[in-house]
Amino acid sequence: MSATAILTALLASALLSAAPLMLAAVGESIGEQSGVLNLGVEGTMAMSGFVAFWTALHSGNAPVALLAGAATGVAIGCGFGLLAAYVRANQVVLGLALTLGGTGASGFLFREAFGSDQPLLSNGPGRPLAGFGDWLPVVGPAVTDQRWFVYVAWALVVAVAVWFGRSRLALRIRAAGEAPRALDATGGDVAATRTAASALAGLLTGLAGASLVVVEVGFFSPGVTAGSGFLAIALAMIGGLAPGRVALLALAFGALAGLDGGLQVAGVDAPVELLRIIPYAGALLALLALGRGRRLPTALAQPYPAPEGR
Amino acid sequence: MVIEAGQREDAGSQSASRTGWAPAAGNRRAGAIVEALLTILVAAGIAGVVLLLTGHDPLAAFAELVQRTLLRSDGLEQTVVQACPILITAVAVHVAAEAGLWNIGIDGQVLAGAFAGAVTGPALGGFGIGGLALGAALAGVLAGGLWAAVPALMRSRYGLNEIVSTIMLNYVALSLTAWLVKGPFRDRSLVTPQTALIPRELRLPDLGPLDIHAGAVAALALVPLAGFVLHRTVSGFELRATGANPDAARRALVPVRRVWAGALIASGAIAALAGVNDVLATKGTFQAEWNPEYGLSAFVVVFLARRTLWGLLPASLFAGALAYGADVMPRAAGIAPAFFFLFEGLVLATLAIPALVGGRSFARLVSRLGTRR
Repeated sequence: MSATAILTALLASALLSAAPLMLAAVGESIGEQSGVLNLGVEGTMAMSGFVAFWTALHSGNAPVALLAGAATGVAIGCGFGLLAAYVRANQVVLGLALTLGGTGASGFLFREAFGSDQPLLSNGPGRPLAGFGDWLPVVGPAVTDQRWFVYVAWALVVAVAVWFGRSRLALRIRAAGEAPRALDATGGDVAATRTAASALAGLLTGLAGASLVVVEVGFFSPGVTAGSGFLAIALAMIGGLAPGRVALLALAFGALAGLDGGLQVAGVDAPVELLRIIPYAGALLALLALGRGRRLPTALAQPYPAPEGR
Repeated sequence: MVIEAGQREDAGSQSASRTGWAPAAGNRRAGAIVEALLTILVAAGIAGVVLLLTGHDPLAAFAELVQRTLLRSDGLEQTVVQACPILITAVAVHVAAEAGLWNIGIDGQVLAGAFAGAVTGPALGGFGIGGLALGAALAGVLAGGLWAAVPALMRSRYGLNEIVSTIMLNYVALSLTAWLVKGPFRDRSLVTPQTALIPRELRLPDLGPLDIHAGAVAALALVPLAGFVLHRTVSGFELRATGANPDAARRALVPVRRVWAGALIASGAIAALAGVNDVLATKGTFQAEWNPEYGLSAFVVVFLARRTLWGLLPASLFAGALAYGADVMPRAAGIAPAFFFLFEGLVLATLAIPALVGGRSFARLVSRLGTRR
């Protein structure tokens, strides 16, 4: 394989791997901005990935499958928000429970539905722009030969980032995490705002899980998320919860996470195990380099109203 | 990005007393046991509905589970064996939690310990079972402590949240050990990528007629040992003071940052023993990609024990029963192992809700993530 072909394959797989990571990391950022720390991204992604897979297999329709995964994410995000905001559950514990329960439930339901079979999705979403970029070496085909959902994911992330910078609801979400008392005093509803933010985070996380399964890998297996949910949480924190910055980080880390697949496609022989370390070790280094000056919302993971005697 | 353990606050127990079944002052222990049992019942109820909806008979399934894991002597022995590493990791989580830290990096620390034990063990065959076990345990403790030293330094030096760094290191550990075992440390005489086998006669022996290995004694001994260090020594007092209220501890001249680092390193060293236990007692080797994932079970155990040290014993027996259930129930009742993760997740979710279970379990663990020092 020529050098340009290898580079093209690497860039293409980077852009593909970045899509779910981006969605989950931006979703987590919005949830955390409202004061809800959800450590269960991995569980939500697994659950919505399974639902999307099941739907895709039975309907043969990728958009329907992605929507089903997103709906699963909304339901889980809503439940998490309600328990965190109204029932004042401990968010760290609840998040770990969601990780355990979500991966467990998806694995259990997968075995219930398919036994020991490992069905594959025949063909993923189409590539509407394929061939358009061939005039530009490397970057051209890598960008235009993507499945359509990749473009949808980028558009969605850009839209959310822009919206988050200039809407009233976004301001309320930030207030719920930064100064819930002030939001309360000005007539805002802290618990409802947090639940809404958590549901929106769930939508993006659900889409992340669904696209990971339906668009990126094309099959479901227990443990298919393989830590990308936790990586998304790390990226949200490294990026200081700013959606735009987090999305750019996700693009960079998508490239790192896509290295093992990309090099395989390109036919380069490198130890997969060492390649798999790179995104996580990279996240640690990025945390050291960029995370030190970042501050998190004052009321992150704190119930509101604060317990008496505080 | 600093997590501060929050101040002691009693809001949780207040809300619990409002719900009517908070333990009375003189009756805490009985209350805690009732609460833990009710938590399991609630989770079992939800899990039962899942079983019902997927066409299983939940009552028969749970009866089968109890029968196979607790009521038959061979089942009970296996439950105890499975509970050993979980108990060890739960002690590790408990120690970190007493300092106000979330050690979610248990899985990586277990792998570090198991790998170190599996590499040093076969080389120590000349020293007999005792020497081998001691040497492997020492190597494991060093490896686990070093592995935990990374997030510990990030926390104490740079004020970086240990939650994210410990989780990231789990994935680093999994791939790194897999690479080491497939490459430099592989025993080429064996078909699958794994380290040299420790011969059966040099693994931990069974306890008399029981089908339970001697690692169980070590695991049990950890509980009073941790209790002694936490409650009868100065460092233990400083650790608990830091966890209860870091600001107050700092004013009392406790070196809070050093205590955090020390607690996380100690927690990692203890967790590593679970990996050493598995290598020396049950597996005899380290296989590439092996990952027992005790970490989240350890959290279930710690919160089910209501953050008490002695409560870890019955709670880890419960987790051990589920772990053994995941082994036998697929064949016995056609229920996939993943179901037991779901069950544990439901138990943990129930434990997260202070209105259901008194506030004691995390009255001191409501972390303040936002404020930066």
